[in-house]
This record gives sequence, structure tokens and C-alpha cells, in this order.
Amino acid sequence: MSKEIKLSVNNLKVSFRTDAGKVQAVRDISFDLYKGETLAIVGESGSGKSVTSKAIMGISAVNSIHEGGEILYDGQDLARIPEEEMHKLRGDKIAMIFQDPLSSLNPIMRIGKQITEAMLLKNKANRKEGRVAFNKMLAELSDMIKKALAENKTARVSAEEVDKYIKTFDDFNIQAIKLDNSYTDSRTAAEEMIAMIEDLLFLVEKKQKVDVVATLSLIRRSLTSIKDKYFISKYEDELKAHADALERVRRIEKAKVTVIDSVKKVVGANASKKEASSETVEVLEAIKKTATEMLAQTQYDFFRIGYYVYKHPETDLSKMPAEEANEMTYKFLNEDFMNSFINLEKIAVQYSIDKTLENKKAAITALQEAIDFFNANNFTAQSSMALCKSVDKSVRSAIDPLAVIKDNVAYTFGGALEREVEKYFFYIKNNPKEEERFARQTAKRDALIAKGKKVDWKIVPKSVIEPEEQIKTIVSVLTRVMNKFIADVENADSVDVDKRCIEIIDYLKEKASQVVYKLTKRIAKEKAIKLMEEVGIPEARMRFRQYPFEFSGGMRQRIVIAIALSANPDILICDEPTTALDVTIQAQILELINRLKREHNLSIIFITHDLGVVANMADRIAVMYAGKIVEYGTANEVFYNPQHPYTWALLSSMPDLDTNEKLDAIPGTPPNMIYPPVGDAFAERNKYAMEIDYEMQPPMFEVSPTHYAATWLLHPNAPSVEIPKIITERIKRMKERGGNHGE
Amino acid sequence: MENNNEVLLKVENLCQYFRLGRKDLKAVDNVSFEIKKGEAFGLVGESGCGKTTTGRSIIKLYNITSGNVYFKGQRIGAGTRSYKDAIKNARDDATKKIKALRAEKATDGYRKAEIREEIKKINEELNATVTQNKILIHDANLDSKIVDRNHSAALLVALEDEYNKKFKDAQGDAEKLAELKKEYKNKCRVAKKSKLITQIQMIFQDPIASLDPRMTVREIIAEGLVINGITDKDYINEKVYEILEMVGLVREHADRYPHEFSGGQRQRIGIARAVVMQPEMIIADEPISALDVSIQAQVINLLNDLRDRLGLTIMFIAHDLSVVKYFSDRIGVMYFGKMVELADSDELFRNPLHPYTKSLLSAIPLPDPIYEKQRTRIHYNPLAEHDYSQDQPSFREITPGHFVYCNDAEEEKYRQLSANETEG
Repeated sequence: MSKEIKLSVNNLKVSFRTDAGKVQAVRDISFDLYKGETLAIVGESGSGKSVTSKAIMGISAVNSIHEGGEILYDGQDLARIPEEEMHKLRGDKIAMIFQDPLSSLNPIMRIGKQITEAMLLKNKANRKEGRVAFNKMLAELSDMIKKALAENKTARVSAEEVDKYIKTFDDFNIQAIKLDNSYTDSRTAAEEMIAMIEDLLFLVEKKQKVDVVATLSLIRRSLTSIKDKYFISKYEDELKAHADALERVRRIEKAKVTVIDSVKKVVGANASKKEASSETVEVLEAIKKTATEMLAQTQYDFFRIGYYVYKHPETDLSKMPAEEANEMTYKFLNEDFMNSFINLEKIAVQYSIDKTLENKKAAITALQEAIDFFNANNFTAQSSMALCKSVDKSVRSAIDPLAVIKDNVAYTFGGALEREVEKYFFYIKNNPKEEERFARQTAKRDALIAKGKKVDWKIVPKSVIEPEEQIKTIVSVLTRVMNKFIADVENADSVDVDKRCIEIIDYLKEKASQVVYKLTKRIAKEKAIKLMEEVGIPEARMRFRQYPFEFSGGMRQRIVIAIALSANPDILICDEPTTALDVTIQAQILELINRLKREHNLSIIFITHDLGVVANMADRIAVMYAGKIVEYGTANEVFYNPQHPYTWALLSSMPDLDTNEKLDAIPGTPPNMIYPPVGDAFAERNKYAMEIDYEMQPPMFEVSPTHYAATWLLHPNAPSVEIPKIITERIKRMKERGGNHGE
Repeated sequence: MENNNEVLLKVENLCQYFRLGRKDLKAVDNVSFEIKKGEAFGLVGESGCGKTTTGRSIIKLYNITSGNVYFKGQRIGAGTRSYKDAIKNARDDATKKIKALRAEKATDGYRKAEIREEIKKINEELNATVTQNKILIHDANLDSKIVDRNHSAALLVALEDEYNKKFKDAQGDAEKLAELKKEYKNKCRVAKKSKLITQIQMIFQDPIASLDPRMTVREIIAEGLVINGITDKDYINEKVYEILEMVGLVREHADRYPHEFSGGQRQRIGIARAVVMQPEMIIADEPISALDVSIQAQVINLLNDLRDRLGLTIMFIAHDLSVVKYFSDRIGVMYFGKMVELADSDELFRNPLHPYTKSLLSAIPLPDPIYEKQRTRIHYNPLAEHDYSQDQPSFREITPGHFVYCNDAEEEKYRQLSANETEG
């Protein structure tokens, strides 16, 4: 297992505002998700499993309050980034499978549309974004080069020359895009044609109703629209022959249809155009073969060719084999333009790095001052807001404008800090009111008790955020950025300027080609069908046009999985995906998820309350109770060496195939999270509870480097407690069985 | 667990079809089994295979299509479709034969008398079958009607005997006699209204949906008693409190409404409602699948407890195999409306014979990571597994107490397998 951390949740706290008071659903949980692993979160309903996953997806309920903590993904804090940023991640990078497949599918949309929807939207947004990003980066670059040159006297290049360079770069890129566009259009046409041919052949084979003549016309149109000279260079004659053959069979088919129509008129029989003659099928197969070959040929690198064509507009490179053309134009590009351009770029990048380094140093001092300022606890709303603004300004100036991957911590810093400061003042203002209310209610309750009446209600505790706590949060926001900057300054020497330059060129290239890459509905359909076959839906081409209600429960869940995978996410969150299904289907879905995880190298957060399912899926397990993680370890550790009494109780309360003795049910119900218990939340239901369990929350004790449990029983002073017999026996049995399997 | 062999419930060729357009949906098709007194009988299968329908047909929530259900030796439910089909088939057969004979008669002038005789014979036969089946239909209809009447009549006779003795003892003491008479009158009223079917009670899957939100727990639990003619408020209250405590709730809960309870407590109310009628048998239809893990164990323990204390017979319907294994003495496996295997629970898990059972058992997830990572699921494809084109399958006993749905060739194979198993 690689140890690259994909997602890390630190001290997350989520509460809900309700009529009865504030429900603390998630209370300070932290975990990491590694690349390519499955982390299972186990617990009863109401333990905060789903709330955690929804917080990660950024779809928390309206009445939820994010009270603290962070969810770090790709350098961004998902709990703090604005909704627009979240849009780009949700479904694209982090996808979710919900418990009930029927309620997460749109009942009046065919499932084909639901699967392709995300792909098409994403493609459209990408193309729009590509051009904007390209222009922005280029402008930034030219600006920086000019600035650098103004200070650097050794390189004798005038501003006009720089402008010329930038203009050339822009212009030849446009030329490249033009070429690429025409090439891609032809490619797309070929792909679409293949899709159409496959569709037609499938329908003909299945004897479904299909208009052969009309489809043949469509195919012909596609065939004639393949005319980019780079794309068809070697296949020109073949294509012409195919077009003729196609036209011929189309005429034959049409004649047949006319005959059938006239027969129909005379006889009144129900003639239909279901069949295609074997000749037509042959022609179509041949066309398909050629098109597939054409798609497989080596592609031209239009970035290079674009420059050559820009310089020599009258030359025609299409007759030259792709490899040769690529090689030749590459040399030309480097000698004629790129080398000098990169030299200029280098100056700019170096300049920008130096500049930001300076700014970073300045920002560190500013941050340190801000920390001292807040720690001194002597500030007003005005002064602190002004300070926020100035600190944010200096932090922003420390962001390298030429870095391809922007420093997201610094980006989200300003908003985060301001929000925390606002919160501080909000509670300072509101706290007296809270105090008043609390005092009033306590007095009322005491009076009732003094009268000797039975009081069965509790007082809603005071607002939880203390000013001192809040200052700590503010300082932690500041320190995080500062630590990052300090680390950056220390590593400043190891920055590779050449690599940075190439990264920028690659970025520009990528953004330019993003504009060209088109995903049409037909290609999206082919992709969707491939995906449906991948998740194990038989006869995907037929089922593409069906509605969700036409599928059984297991099939529906497969479709939901296909939709989740359609954008190729990094992280998949499965929220009880098999609870609504029965055993056999459940086993199939679990196998499917496991297979997809291996193939796509997904990281999965798997939420469930069924320990059997967990054993099947999980690499690591987090056991949650009352909004806290009580035990955390690898699957083997948690199942074979459980430490927390709650884990014992969970394990012993479900029978396995060899259980005969009475089950150890967990008495009582989970605590009401409006009044969370002071000590260990499980103490009330725990027969091993000690006095300290009612007074203090246990910290996480380390059992092994990967295994932690929050129970006072692990404290060195705790009395030694026997694990319930039912579990020890079961573990013994499992070890024996495991041994047998191993042999 | 009592180990006597008294059969409490016997289901014979039970069929339950639902109308689905022109065709019939065979929800339950020719299912037969017996449940002995005091045992827990598990019924498993995937969703839609007819487990719940079987349970509901037994307590007459549906009118069964054909087959018989016997409870304590009395026929409580009977379907008539098979008899009607028999009549129809006989008629069709006869008309076909007669037509053929008439055609022959027209061509062949010599055997006229002979043929006439034959036609007469066929008609007689037909009439005999029709009358016979009509009697059966009549019996079936009558049986399900009079079974309750017989039950209450028997109760009345018993009561009369009992009280006659008491009256004799109390002669002379006018006050006591009047009291006894009042008591007798009350009991008679209850006995007149009581039905045999109330001795089978059902616990439903979804505790929220099966409890009326506008009734208090007291009303919910007492409803059955009231319907049965008990009017004594104090008696009802006493009974309700007793039952509440039995299922692990407290007296104070009686005046609350269902929404004030948690899922596990609601299911306890459902159980209390079933138990208050003092049934002999309970049909538990997935009583735990809507509950949380920690609560599931509580409910299972409660059911086990009640079973020991009241000597209940329980039919346990579920799809969680490890729970069924833990809870039941015998298990029946259903697949698409048919019972495919029936055996003692240990036997079934040790030596599953039918390929569907094997596939089902291979799909159980266990809380054991090493085992889980190595578990391979067996696929079940009925078309590939069985060849029923010539040799029709039926439900047969392979070893004592172990039934499998199979045909001759498979029976031979299974017998071999079981023999090997016992040897090995």
C-alpha cells in the first residue's frame, strides 16, 4: 500500500441547529485516507458517519454548523472553499454513492442521459475555461518578463521584442489550434461513424426496428465530413472507394424499401425495414475497419507543426509521415523560436521566484506579528479587521503568479481568517445573552427541584464556543500558513527553474488543447456504454435507453456506481451502498466496488453498520460512536485485537455461523447528542465503565503505530479487563479458519 | 427447546398466485412443510422469492389459491384452484374424446352402438370427477368457515363443564353463585368470539409502518383483546402492564404514542401486541432488518427469551443468514416461489445440497477479514445447473429430515453426496 495521503480530516466538528437545541453530530474526529485504500467507518445510526461523509462532499444540511476543523484535499480545505470551487471538485474528484439507488436517480430521465450528463457538462466547462486560462497565463508571463528585464541589465532585449515573442507564441498557438481543430473534427467524425455503425449492426442483429436507409445516409454524411488532410493522408483512396460502396448499398436498400412500400400498399401487410442485406453489412464492416485503423495511426504534434506552418504558410506537411513531421518541426521550433523564448522565460521565472521569496519572508514576519497580536488578546473589531486585510495582502503577494499549481492554502487563507475573526466577535456579542438564558433556566430548574418536584428535562448548555477557544482557532489558521511559508523558504534553493519553465509551456499547451477536445453526444454514449459494461450491466446498448424503474435494485445500484465513475474521480464515498439490497446482490456489488477500486486505483470511504461487509471491504477501519472515533486501525487489528468496549459490544452482538450462546446485546440506546455526556459517551452502556469514564473523555491511546483506541482501559493505571468470552472464542475460531485457508 | 414431534402447523402444496394482467404471478408455488411444536423454523431467500407471502398466506391475510394449511390438526385455510383446474381439465379431456368418437361415428357406421356406449361411459366418468371435486371445493370453503365455529363451540363446552362443577360446589352460597354466574357469562361471551386463527400472530418488518400513529401503546396492545370481547378495563390494563414488562418496557410507556419510541422499542411494542393474545405460534417477518446493529441483538434475545418462557413456536422469516442460523432449529430455503431445500440448520450449513443454497451460503459476509478476503462466491444460474426438460423435479427427502427440490438424476447425485458426507 502506498502511503500517499489523498484526504485528511483534522479535528472536524459539525453540529446541527434544531428546535430542541444544538445537536453535536460530529465531535472532533481526525483521519487520513491513503491512495488506493478503503477506509471503513462503522457505527450505529446517529453516530455521525453520514454527517462526516456529507461534510467531505460539501452537501451538509442547511441547519448544520461547521464548528471547526479542516478537510484537506489537494492542498485545499474543503470546509472553507467557496461553493464555486467546490463545484469543480464535487462529482469530478470526489464522488458519492448513496444508500438508496432509486432516490438518487431521476425517475423521468433515461439512464443513458443520466450517465452522460456529467461527462458532457464537464467537457463544455473545460473548453470554456481552457482559453481563459491560456490567455491569463500568457499575459502574466509577458508582464513578468518585462518586469524582470527592467531590473536585469545584462539581457539586452527591448520591450517591443518581448511583445513580438509573446505575439508569435500566441499566433502560432492559434494556428496549431486551427490545425488541431480540423484534425479533431475528422477524428470525432470517424469515432461517431464507428459508433453509428456499431449501433446499426447491433440493432440489425437483434432484429430491432431500425431505419437502415436513413442511418446509411447519416453514416455517409460522417464519412464525407472526414476530410482533414493530415488525418486522411494515407487513406484518401480507400475512403473514396468506401463512399462509393456506401452510396451503392444505400441505393439498393432504398430500392428495396420502395418495393416493400408498394407491396405494403397493395397487400396491406405489416412490412418493416428491419433487415439489412449481407452486402450492406460487409461494406459497413469494411468502413469500420478502415476508420479504426485511421484512429490508431500516430498523431501529429500540432504544437510543433503549428509553428512551422505559421512560418511557412504555403508548405504542406500532410504527405509526410507523422513521426518524421513531428521530428522535423520539433527541431525547427526549438532552433528558430523556443530556445530564445525559454531563455526569456527563465529570467522571468527566476525573478518571480526571488520576488515571492522576499514577499514570503515579509509575510512570515507579518504573520508572526498577527499571531502575537491575537495572543495578546487586546483587540477591537476594527483593528483586527484591518490587520486581517493587511496580513491577507502580504500573504497574497507571496503567491508565485507563475507557479502552475497555485498555493491553495494561501489562497483560502484570507476568507478563513476573516470568518474566524467575525465568529469571535459574534460570540463575544452574543455570549452575555447566552449567559442570561442559561442562568434563568438553571434558576427555574433549581426552584422546581427545591419544591420537591420531579424534573425530567435538562438545560441546554451554554453556547460552546469560548472566546479563548476561538482565539486558538484563529492562531492555528495563521500558524498553518506561516509554517508552510517557513518550509518553502527553507526549501527555496531546491526549486528547479528549468522544470518550472517546462511546466509553464506544458500548461499552456494543455490549456490550448483543452479547447480543441470535443465530446459529442454520440461519443459520450459509447463511453457510457463501455462504463455500463464495466460495472456489469448486460446488454448495455439496449438498456441505455431505459428508465430507472425498469431496473432491479442491484442493477440500479450499478447504474449509480457508473454515474459516480463517469467523471473518473479520485475518491469514492460509499454511504451504506448495500443496506437496501439482499445478500446475493450485496455480494455482487461489493465485488464490483472492489474490482473497480483495483482497476482505477480509487480511494474509498466506505460507510456501513454491517461488520461482515466491513471485513470484506476495508483495509482500515474507524469505529465511530456518538460523533467520535473510538477505535482506529487496520482491519486485522480491529477484528482480531479489538480494544474498545464498544467494538467488543458490536462484535459480540451479531451472531456468526458458529454462535450458539446468548448474544451480548448492548443495553440501552445511544446518548442524546443535544446533551453530550461529559465523559466517555459509551460509559452509560458499558459494563466495564470506570469512574473516570463519567468524568473525563479518554484520549486516543496507541496500541500499535497503526492502531489507536479511545478508552481509559488502556491507561497504564487501569485494571486489566478480560475481553468477553464470546469474542475471544470467535477470534480463536477465526484464526483457525484463517490458518486453514492459508494452507 | 422441547423435542416432541407434535406437528403444530402443516402446510400442504400451498400456492399463492396474484393476478398480473393476463398471466398469474406465482408468488408461492407448491410449497409444503411442517412446523413442530416449540421449534423455530427459519425461512430464507432473496427478496421477492415469496417468504413474506408464505407467512401472510398462513395467517389468512391472503385467500390462498390452492393447497391446505393445517393448524393443530384442523384445516384453517384451503384453496380451491387445484380442484377447479381438475374439473376444467376433465371437461376438456372429455369433450376432446367425445369429439373424436363422434367423428369416428360419422364415418364408421358399424360401431355406432359401441361408440355410443363409450361416450356414455366418458360422460359418467366426467360427472364422477366433477362431483367429487365439487365436494372437495365445498369442503374447503366450509372448513375455513366452520373451523372458528368449531373452535368456539369446543371452548364453550369446556367452559360449561368447568362451571357446572363450580356451580355445584358453590350451591347454597347465593352471593358466590351470582358472582360465578357473572364470570361464566363473561367467559362465554369471550369464547363465542374467539377464533382459532388468533393463536397465530405476526410481527411485521417495519415497526413504524405497522403501528397506528394515533393510538397509544395501551390501545395498540389491547386492541386484540377488545376485539375478542374482553370488556374488563382492569383486566386489560393488568394484562398490558404485564406484557410490557415482559418485553422489556415499563408501565409508564403505556400512555405514550409510537413516535416517542426508538426503533428497537417500537419493535418491542409490535412483539407485545403479538404476545398479548397468548398465541401458540408467532410468524416473525424480518423483525430485525429495519433495526440498528446494537438493537438487533436485543430483539433476538427477547424473542429467544419469550420462546423459552411461553413455549412459543416461531416461524422466522429473514434474509440475514447468520441470524437465521443462530435463531432457528430448521431452515427452509426458498427460490422464486419454490422451496428448494429444507433441513436442520446445522445440517443445512454443513451439507448444503441444492446449488442455490450453496450460492446463498457463499454470499454471507462474516466479521473476519482473512476469511473474507479469500471467500469466493458461487454463482447460481438455474438454466446451467439443472436440466428439467424431460425429468420433472419435485420436493424429495434425501436423508431423514433433509429435503431438496430435484429430479431423479439429481436425487441420485445428492444421495451419493450425503452418503460421502456422513462417511467422511
